[in-house]
Amino acid sequence: MKFLRSSKIGTWLGFALFAVVTLLPFYWILLSAITPRQDLFSSPVHYWPEHPTLDNFISLFTVIPFWSYFINSSVMSLLSAFVSVLTSFLAAYAFSRIKFRGSNLLLLFFLITTALPPVSTLLPLYDIFARFHLLNSLAGLIILVSSMIVPFTVWILVSFVDQIPKELDDAATVDGCPRWLAIFIIVAPICMPALATMFVINFVIAWNELLIPLVFSTNVTAKTLSVGITELAVQANSMSKPWELISAIGVAMIVPVMVLVFIFQRAIVSGLTQGAVK
Amino acid sequence: MAISSMTQAAAGRRRRWFSARARLITLFCILVLPALALRLFTAVWPIIATIDWSFRRVDAMGAGNYVGFANYSRFLGDQVMTASFSFTFWYVIASTILQICLGLLVSLLLNAAFKGRAIARSINLIPWAVPLIVAAMGFRWLLDDQYGLINDLLIRVGLPPVHWLIQADTARLGVIAANVWRNTPFIAMIFLAGLQGIPQDLYEAAQLDGAGPVQLFRYVTLPLVLPLVITMSMFFAIWQLASFDLIYGMTQGGPGFATSVLAWQIYKQAFQAFNFGYASAISVVLLLVIALFGAFGYMLFRTRQV
Repeated sequence: MKFLRSSKIGTWLGFALFAVVTLLPFYWILLSAITPRQDLFSSPVHYWPEHPTLDNFISLFTVIPFWSYFINSSVMSLLSAFVSVLTSFLAAYAFSRIKFRGSNLLLLFFLITTALPPVSTLLPLYDIFARFHLLNSLAGLIILVSSMIVPFTVWILVSFVDQIPKELDDAATVDGCPRWLAIFIIVAPICMPALATMFVINFVIAWNELLIPLVFSTNVTAKTLSVGITELAVQANSMSKPWELISAIGVAMIVPVMVLVFIFQRAIVSGLTQGAVK
Repeated sequence: MAISSMTQAAAGRRRRWFSARARLITLFCILVLPALALRLFTAVWPIIATIDWSFRRVDAMGAGNYVGFANYSRFLGDQVMTASFSFTFWYVIASTILQICLGLLVSLLLNAAFKGRAIARSINLIPWAVPLIVAAMGFRWLLDDQYGLINDLLIRVGLPPVHWLIQADTARLGVIAANVWRNTPFIAMIFLAGLQGIPQDLYEAAQLDGAGPVQLFRYVTLPLVLPLVITMSMFFAIWQLASFDLIYGMTQGGPGFATSVLAWQIYKQAFQAFNFGYASAISVVLLLVIALFGAFGYMLFRTRQV
């Protein structure tokens, strides 16, 4: 009994430590985003918003083309999620249902390409994109970002399609429905929860992507919020970097993701753990 | 007559089977093609081109003459590169070990039966939702010399403030801390799923045999999650070898080149100095390191399974 109580206290202590360490950097960004600049650059540090304000968010619109960056980020992430889920689902169906000598090798090949670091692949791609005037295009970003997420998505979706009884689509083909049609009208609806989960996860991954837009976007037509935050960090003035603005754009980047994560918490956790734990 | 009609029927069946099979394989190709085309265009072909470029002089004007191993010998003779190489290695090793150990601890907390569990699991998702570049900026601001929260806390408890990102060793500590903060929760989430897969009766049986909490962890939990620990370590080590965002946002490799990693040097050489050939050689070195880590992880996995 005594042991049980002390282990309870230990658990709560562990929880308190975990919560403080996990939330502190997050709180610091949030706090800085709603604090006026003169309060931020004063010692000792304010631990509580004494003069909470939304001015920093309003200034974002004048300091950088925030609205364009926000729209670029949204379009790029939504379409990358869509393209990656669609192409991965088709491939996952093929890998799960149509087996022949070498088909598993091809799946393995897909997975191994994830280990290829994006930063090492960007040089020839940059060269080609520059040659064909594809820099600064959202379409270019979407191709690169969605391709980056494809192997992981294929891997997870194969295990989902495997769980759906083969008899279902076989029955449809016996009834005269062509197999390619059965994929869309029989299998896809059953997979919908998995597809939606992967869509959300891939949206988050694309939204967080920095390297690809940093390299392939040099002007406002294709720059994303992740590039915007680095632009703010380059601006230094007499006192220090504009941390109130950097924090504000950080919050603007976190909020959409946070909303998605808390709405789809259960689905996201099951989707992310599906591939690892089997 | 009978025999020939039978063979004809068999041949017809075989033909039908063949054409059905051919149709299936055609369908397979059509379905896999979009995903495969994406990977071939954005990963496989560029890697081959990068290997080719690493033996050439390539600048903003395009690919030039083959120069043998010149780019590689330049790499070996470049103090910044050898330093980046070894920091990449230590950065990945230290981060991965810390993430795996802390991730295991956090997953035990998230799996413990107590009232705060649901909240703890929600909190655990927050760092994952923070983009790496935002985490990088957040930590840089936390560790600010004059107005940062960490130095303020140090002063409040009576310790001297630290020039975190200005000194080499503390800067290294800082980027590793940020990396561990961002990725530990993800690992904890995966481990939690592993813990939930352990049958409860194993614990009950061990408890009947008189095992305490430490022994339960040592003899039941650990052996069962170990394969997962090895796979996750391998994945995270490989993935973090190519990490770029955090270093780019927090230190740009500084002070000096104390926190410089290979991925940052590739970016710098390619897109700031336009030395594509040299950057390609660094890329190939990074690829070789990744292949080594992968082979090592695979061997570890094999010996554990047998």
